[in-house]
Amino acid sequence: MPASSEAPSPRSGKNAKAPTKTAGGSALRARMDQLKRTWHVLKQNTLAMVGLGLLVFFVVVALGSFFYPGPSESMTLYCGTYLSTATGCVKVCTYAAPELSPGAGCYLVSSLESSLVPPTITLSPLSIGPLPLGSLAPIPGNGLFYNIAAGLIKGAPWSLGISVTIVGSGALIGMLLGALSGFNGGTVDEVIMRITDIFLSIPGLLLVLVLLAVLSAALGSGLSFLGRVGVLVGAFVITWWPLYTRLVRGQALVVREQKYVEAAKAGGAGPGRILRKHILPNVTFPVLVQFSLDVGTVPLLLGVIVFLGFPIWPATPFPEWGTLSAISVENLETFVLDCATPGITCTFPWWQILFPGLTVFLFAISVNFFADGLRDALDPRLRR
Amino acid sequence: MRLHVYIIRRVLLLIPVLLGVMTITFILVSAIPLGQRLESQFGQSKFGSGPYVLCSRFGLTPTNGSRFCPNPWYWNGIRVLGLNQPIPVQWARYMYNLLTGQWGYTSAHSLLPTVGIPGGIPVLTVLSWYLPYTLELAALSLVMIWFLSFPIGYRAAVRRNRPFDQGARLLSFSGFALPTFLLAGGTLLGAVLLTGGFTHICGGTATPWDLWYGLPPDPTGYACPPYNGVQPSWIGQYGQTSPTHFPTIDALIHGQPLIALDTIRRLILPAFTVAFGSVAGILRFVRNSMLEVLSLDYIKHARAIGLPERQVIRHHAGRNALNVTLTVLGLTFAFFIAGFPVTELIFGLRGIGLLFTYSVRPPYDFGVIFGTTIVFTIIVVIANIIVDILYAYLDPRVRLG
Repeated sequence: MPASSEAPSPRSGKNAKAPTKTAGGSALRARMDQLKRTWHVLKQNTLAMVGLGLLVFFVVVALGSFFYPGPSESMTLYCGTYLSTATGCVKVCTYAAPELSPGAGCYLVSSLESSLVPPTITLSPLSIGPLPLGSLAPIPGNGLFYNIAAGLIKGAPWSLGISVTIVGSGALIGMLLGALSGFNGGTVDEVIMRITDIFLSIPGLLLVLVLLAVLSAALGSGLSFLGRVGVLVGAFVITWWPLYTRLVRGQALVVREQKYVEAAKAGGAGPGRILRKHILPNVTFPVLVQFSLDVGTVPLLLGVIVFLGFPIWPATPFPEWGTLSAISVENLETFVLDCATPGITCTFPWWQILFPGLTVFLFAISVNFFADGLRDALDPRLRR
Repeated sequence: MRLHVYIIRRVLLLIPVLLGVMTITFILVSAIPLGQRLESQFGQSKFGSGPYVLCSRFGLTPTNGSRFCPNPWYWNGIRVLGLNQPIPVQWARYMYNLLTGQWGYTSAHSLLPTVGIPGGIPVLTVLSWYLPYTLELAALSLVMIWFLSFPIGYRAAVRRNRPFDQGARLLSFSGFALPTFLLAGGTLLGAVLLTGGFTHICGGTATPWDLWYGLPPDPTGYACPPYNGVQPSWIGQYGQTSPTHFPTIDALIHGQPLIALDTIRRLILPAFTVAFGSVAGILRFVRNSMLEVLSLDYIKHARAIGLPERQVIRHHAGRNALNVTLTVLGLTFAFFIAGFPVTELIFGLRGIGLLFTYSVRPPYDFGVIFGTTIVFTIIVVIANIIVDILYAYLDPRVRLG
């Protein structure tokens, strides 16, 4: 096998190996060879490798986050008000200079999670961690703060999980409908494609928001946390399947007319076998590429929805990357309002915007790099 | 096929799509609670603001233990909405209402301050207040897309795999990966910081924050930025008439060319923000189709007969790369449109995207939500048709096929 991975010519290992393999074994071997060739081409592509490296890093962080202290569906929140006595939280100016350096008796009182946190945490960029990454950022509206690094770590499994679930379900539905439509043709095709066209003509983000508004009005506010996540995923899936349906249908139409499908028909293969053995394997790769492209955009869209003010989570500070990024940009308005008064100087909280934003950006761009490289590796005609 | 036959056929194909979209909104409207549905379709004044007595058949709970609902509001609502009739009849009634311009009313507890009039305002009227601003913004950003993506794409193709091409590739990747709100917020912040910070003086002269934020100065002085709430048309709020609701045209009608220019300046940054994502996508297609065209024989011929390179690129290759790109422009239009709500929210522009933003927050304003959805869909569909017709005009093979 090392020889074939070094010189990836088509079917390189095939005649060298023992002829006692069964048909299933050689099909598996051919598939393995193809994967190996793809990997070899992919390895040459620097951007794709950078993307893959980042993705692996994100997955490792997501897995590691389960060992990070604190509950998994929320962040440890800090009371962001400076008080001389521990009477409760009163919202004060977040960004203006006098509050930034707490005077005598001014402390962040407690963590909401446990009152054991000593009142020594002060709101300055470098207070908690060695980097500004470990400092606190305000959550708009309720005067509470979260730890940026902890939030991003806790958010990793949610961001990755929700993205893969949404795009995966959409791709699955799209593949089924698209293969059905492209393979059957006729009335089935016509009906499915008209419905697809209708869904595609509504801008996706708007459809998600409308669906979320209708579903939350219809189901009321009594939904559990997982119920809300389910509604969110459902709204996205309803918006996402048409893209895949159209993609898969186009591919299926092309494959249907190929000589080898004709040969399979002549050999007595039924429609089920042709669909399973010829059509689906051939539409898998374009779907895989589109899937990897789309996974990166889900956190961006979640961020946009949160930014537009739609309450998708039961509590506002949900540790999801897009959400955290949206929160940080929302804080800009607070910053402007706090600091626009003449005579007050503010430190611009760049670290609060940079780190969540960078995480979302890096995730999306790494997925894009990887998908682009994958497309080139899978379809040599596209290589330029 | 002649071009006008093609156009007529293309426009006729629009009808089933629009009917389908309206059917989807009908299904969604049927899913919302009765009270909100009545309010969004008939306005609150006709039904009062009393709570509807809820019955389990409609996903609601009865108050007196029986399955009948004694509340007159409820029966009135059932009768007016025709909920006791078969679903096809309800559907037909809904479609009739939409097609005759009865798009419902804004909700009385809407977050829009000027719209929160008891009884609500017809949705179409509200849309006619807010749509023009968005159209101006869209026009400006389409111009930007045109003048950014083509030159960059052409150049990237000509200088393939050189630093310029790599830069363009990075630009297009980052266009996909940058959240709209981050780009818009960063752009606004950058412009404001570069021109001198956040200090603004209301009623005095324009300061950097005022220069880039959405509200144009009123003719009598300078207003404060509207942090909370939105006004339908800036010019209307100073007691002047707003005949067209296009701010630039209104200002010109009132003989204020400087304010018209000021309005356009305020649109530059938002238009760039909206354009950026689309430029990123279209750039790749321009480059790839240009590469394809450049390898064709007639380009070699044009070069061989000694035409200047500039002319070969512009007239011979560019014209043909245009065709493919037009299609992409049509396909990405829905994506382009979806950038408006965030951009208008950040820059404080009183367009239809801002209207949508305010109406999808709870308490939901379903009349406006469905109204804006249909308007956005119509815009996307019409844009697609225009692109198709342009494509057929540029490439006669499409019509023949």
